[in-house]
Amino acid sequence: MIKLENVTKEYKGGTVALRNASADIQKGEFVFLVGQSGSGKSTFIRLLNKEEAPDQGRIVVAGKDLGELSGWRVPYLRRNIGCIFQDFKLLPKKTVYENVAFALEVIGRPKHVVKKQVPAILDLVGLGPKLGNFPDELSGGEQQRVSIARAFVNRPLILLADEPTGNLDPATSVGIMRLLDRINRTGTTVVMATHDRGIVDTMRRRVIELDNGNIERDQSRGVYE
Amino acid sequence: MALRVEYLIRETGTNLWRNVWLTIAAVLTVFVCLALLGVSILIGRGADSLTSQWKGGIEFIIFMKPVATPDEDTAIRKVLDESGSEIKSYKYLDQAAAYDEFKKLFADKQELIDSISPTVLPPSYRVVPVDSDADAVAQLGKQFEDKPGVYEVKYASETLRNLESITNIIGFGLLVAAVVLFIVSVLLILNTTFTAMTSRRREIEVMKLVGATNWFIRIPYMLEGLVHGLVGALGAVGFLVVFKNLVFPRVQRIDLFQYFRVTSGEVWTTSIWLVLLGAAVGVIGSTFAVWRYLDV
Repeated sequence: MIKLENVTKEYKGGTVALRNASADIQKGEFVFLVGQSGSGKSTFIRLLNKEEAPDQGRIVVAGKDLGELSGWRVPYLRRNIGCIFQDFKLLPKKTVYENVAFALEVIGRPKHVVKKQVPAILDLVGLGPKLGNFPDELSGGEQQRVSIARAFVNRPLILLADEPTGNLDPATSVGIMRLLDRINRTGTTVVMATHDRGIVDTMRRRVIELDNGNIERDQSRGVYE
Repeated sequence: MALRVEYLIRETGTNLWRNVWLTIAAVLTVFVCLALLGVSILIGRGADSLTSQWKGGIEFIIFMKPVATPDEDTAIRKVLDESGSEIKSYKYLDQAAAYDEFKKLFADKQELIDSISPTVLPPSYRVVPVDSDADAVAQLGKQFEDKPGVYEVKYASETLRNLESITNIIGFGLLVAAVVLFIVSVLLILNTTFTAMTSRRREIEVMKLVGATNWFIRIPYMLEGLVHGLVGALGAVGFLVVFKNLVFPRVQRIDLFQYFRVTSGEVWTTSIWLVLLGAAVGVIGSTFAVWRYLDV
C-alpha cells in the first residue's frame, strides 16, 4: 500500500528531514511513527500525500508512483488518503455536519450521497446527536472525532494521523485510539506519528522509529523505546 | 452537477460579500477605467466624422454643380492634371460616393437621408496641394472659383485643423488615463482575490487535503473577479449611453461641432468591447492571484 525506497528529503538551510529511508507498509497495517520532535515524522507523513516531494528516492502510495504523478492527478490521490492533525483543522464557522459534508461536497459527491453518508459516519464516531453544533461548542476529543469523521467519510484506503492525541488528555486519547483501531479493522491502512508512549506500548503495533531523519528501528508489535 | 453549480454560486456570493468594500473599490475602478476608455473612443469617432471630409492632407474641395456638363468637368480635371508642381494629388467623388459620405455623416438622421437622393448632391474634387500654407492654398483654390460648372470651393479652415488636434489630444489623454486605470484595475482585482483567498486559507487547506481539484478551488475566485469586471463594464456602458444622449447633442449645437456625429451603432460596438475588456480585466486579475496562491 505504501512503499518508500531510499527516500531523502532536505529542507532549505540544510536540515535533513529524512535520510535514505526505506519502508514497506502493507494494506491494513497500523504503523506508529515515533521519535523526538524534528526527527522527521511529520515530513514522512507529508511526503505520503504529496504535500512535499522527496529530493531522492521513490515513493509509491496506493499503487501510484508519486514521482511520476502529474500535478493535476494529486487531488485524486488525496481522495484515497484521509488526514487528521493535532490541531484538528476544523472550519469554525461550519457545524459538525457541514464540516464533514464539506469534504464530500468539494470532491463533487452528489447531494443524496452527502445526506446519507454524513449522518452515518457521525454516528460511527459517536457524534450523531451533536451534528448541529459548532466546533467551539465541543470538547477537544469531540473535535478530533469530527476531524476523523471528515477524514474517513470518503472511505479512504489510507489514514494519515499526525499527533492526533497531542492536544488531548490520556482518557480522551484512549477513546480516539479505539476509534482509529476500529477504522483500521475495516481494512484501512493507518500511519500515525505520535509522542504518546502509553498508546504505543498499549497497542503493540508496528513501530518505525526515526532519529534525525534516519530510520533507527522498524519493529512489528513494537514498543515506544 | 447541480451541487457544483449551487456550490459555485454560493461560494462566489460569499466571497463578494465578505470583502464588500474591496469589491466596491474594484468595481468602481473598472467602471471609471472603462468609462474613460469608452468616452475616448466615442470622441475619436465623433472627431473622425467632424473632419472626415478633410482627411489625408486635403486642403480644399471643389464642389461641382450637380448639373455640370462633362465638358465643364473635363476642363477642371485638365487644370488639376496640369498643376502637377502645385498639386500633390486629388480625388474625384462622384454623386454615388457623395451620397455614401452623406449617409455616413448623418447616420443618426434617417429622415434626412430618406429625403435626399444622390442626384441632388454635388460631385467634388478633393485636392491635396504640395504647399499646405493657408495663403498658397487660397491662391491655388481661387483659380477654380469662377470656372464654369463649379458650385463652390471650400477650404479646410485653421479652426478645423485646431479642432482636429485638440480632439486628438483629449482622446489621447483619456486613452492614457484609461490604460493606467486598466493596470490599476487588474492589480486591485488581483489584491481583492488575494484577500478573499487569505481570509479563507483554512478552508482552502482543507479542500486540498480532502482532494478537491485545483479548478474546483480556483473557479469561485475567478468568477468573483469576472463579476467585478462585468459589473464595472455594465456601469461604463450605462455611462456611455447617458453621455451619448445628454452630452453629445449639446456639443453638436455648437456651430463648429455640427458634424460631430456618434451613431448608436458606434456606441453599441464600443459597449461590446467594454464588456469584453471588463471580463478580461476581471479574469486576468483573479487568474494571476489564484495561480500565485494555489499550487498543489
